Amino acid sequence: MEAPSGVSDQRAVDLSVIAPLYNEEESVELLYKSIVDALKDLKLRYELVFVDDGSSDRTFIRAQELADRDPYLRVIKFRKNYGQTPAMAAGIDHASGRLLITMDGDLQNDPRDIPHFIDKIEEGFDIVVGWRFNRQDKLVTRKIPSRIANWLIGKVTGVPIKDNGCSLKAFRAEVIKNIPLYSEMHRFIPAMTSLAGARIAEIKVRHHARQFGMSKYGLSRIYKVLLDLLAIKTVVSFASKPLLWFSILAIPSALVSIGLLASSVNGLFSSSEAFSVPIAGTGVLFGALAIFLFLGGALCELIYKTGDTKPQWLSSLTAQQVLGKEPRGAEDIHEIQPPELADQP
Amino acid sequence: MSNTIELSVIVPVGERYDDVRSLYHDYKRGIDASGLRYELIYVLDGDRPEVFKELVELQQQGEKLKLIKLAKSFGEAIALTVGFDNASGEFLLTLPAYYQVDPTEIPKLISELQNCDMVISHRWPRTGSGFEVFRRRVFHGTLKLFTGVSYRDLGCGVRALKRQVAQEVTLYGDQHRFLPVLASRRGFKVKELDVAQSPKDYFRGAYRPREYLHRLLDIFTIFFLVRFTKKPLRFFGMIGSLTAVAGGIVVLYLVIQRLFLGMPLAERPALLLSSLLVVLGVQILGLGLIGELIIFTHARELKEYNVEKIIN
Repeated sequence: MEAPSGVSDQRAVDLSVIAPLYNEEESVELLYKSIVDALKDLKLRYELVFVDDGSSDRTFIRAQELADRDPYLRVIKFRKNYGQTPAMAAGIDHASGRLLITMDGDLQNDPRDIPHFIDKIEEGFDIVVGWRFNRQDKLVTRKIPSRIANWLIGKVTGVPIKDNGCSLKAFRAEVIKNIPLYSEMHRFIPAMTSLAGARIAEIKVRHHARQFGMSKYGLSRIYKVLLDLLAIKTVVSFASKPLLWFSILAIPSALVSIGLLASSVNGLFSSSEAFSVPIAGTGVLFGALAIFLFLGGALCELIYKTGDTKPQWLSSLTAQQVLGKEPRGAEDIHEIQPPELADQP
Repeated sequence: MSNTIELSVIVPVGERYDDVRSLYHDYKRGIDASGLRYELIYVLDGDRPEVFKELVELQQQGEKLKLIKLAKSFGEAIALTVGFDNASGEFLLTLPAYYQVDPTEIPKLISELQNCDMVISHRWPRTGSGFEVFRRRVFHGTLKLFTGVSYRDLGCGVRALKRQVAQEVTLYGDQHRFLPVLASRRGFKVKELDVAQSPKDYFRGAYRPREYLHRLLDIFTIFFLVRFTKKPLRFFGMIGSLTAVAGGIVVLYLVIQRLFLGMPLAERPALLLSSLLVVLGVQILGLGLIGELIIFTHARELKEYNVEKIIN
């Protein structure tokens, strides 16, 4: 058994295509062929990273057969099913390219779109996201919830991306590798990075109806998205100053408290109005809440000081912009040697 | 090398122990039958002068056993961890310092390790009063309800596991009982095997009420660890928003009554109750946000996935 953790050995490749697979035994080979077909005309050295997300069928065996013939296909097998975001995170952790492309493993994305993504990155964007403009999914269970979610994410984060859920995305490796990916955060990658100053482009992509099997990654439930969104907002946009964020949250309850307490103090001294225990008690309660939130913010400051994911990645990105440094791109991608892929089937 | 150790047997000794000598010989017979080269490690959790004396005597008689004594009592989870750290075998076997499982069953447990990562024993058929059976059912039923895993005998300390399991799963507090739950959460295959109960296995004394509370809190901790470690806001947010919304609806109702029906607010304790709910809900949400921040700041060291194999 190989060492399971740790960063992969660096290989000399320019582009890594990452696809999570979960019970996709029929699709693996087709997916592999279509990606290779789409990339063979590009003068790029590339690798494929397939992540088997604890499939219960023969997905891993199929992928292994392909990998035996192609040293530039890396297959990562999970011990059990962890979900799409961890699978993507693993692929990103173990990819060596300077440019990373993530896509679905179920053939719903079209690898022929990949060159457009590369073009956009060459134009100087840090992240390029796909927009499935003619989405081939069920309207009520998938399209409508996703439209609401996208609208909401756009509103809260201020990054109006039409399709956060599209897996087909391209990243500059140094941008995405610095972003903590966990839970179901892949939906929020553009928002997170854009808050950090990344330049984002959105392009239309083809979307195919599912050929094999069932939809595995369930529909986006609004409730989860809502809470995740609140978490993202807290974590990213107020990360550097949590005390401020919590103080803002505390203001309404402090105001309610002051109002109620003032009125009951008034009742205490004036003869016309009676002192009311419920009103005074409510005032005290909201006062306590305000204090709680304020202290919670102070606690967050402490957590930030001791934690290790400080918002440095934010500054490293913006610094690049401030300096007006040209991102590595266009020229050196194209003057690369022809693909070193071994025997192509 | 022909004399490398294949199996490390770890015996944590806590408050409860049976006659050291006879237990040692019984275990030894059982392990010998497995045909593996093994080492035996006793971990004394704190000061156990009687046990210590007997073990030293055994050592002097030429019995090969490693003896580790902890400076004070840290609990079984830590004793096990120390044992794991000092073990050199590829396979590990934990045995309690008292009779639970018939020692002749040991080889069966170890050979089952070929097919999975961890083997835990289920004493069956099992003796015990009706109340004990009921208590066990409640414990495992509650665990199943909260975490969705179903085991039947987590109280049994006879477990065989691969080294990697012990390396990856960190234990603290009272979590040794839940080692199988934590291991399967990390993607290891855990198997429960029916084994014969030792005729000398009997429980002395009753649990104090405090113990029950501890077990319940343990289950809650495991539940939280298993389900929500990565998304605290999902958990706190659910409870918090329900509480706050319930309170908010009552407040709204009272305010409407005040404005349109003229019922005075000032004399209604319901106002106090409902605003208490709102405050509580917001506090719970606030805790969730703090939790989320903790996860975010540690996201890089907390890998969410476990890789079994990498090709190329």
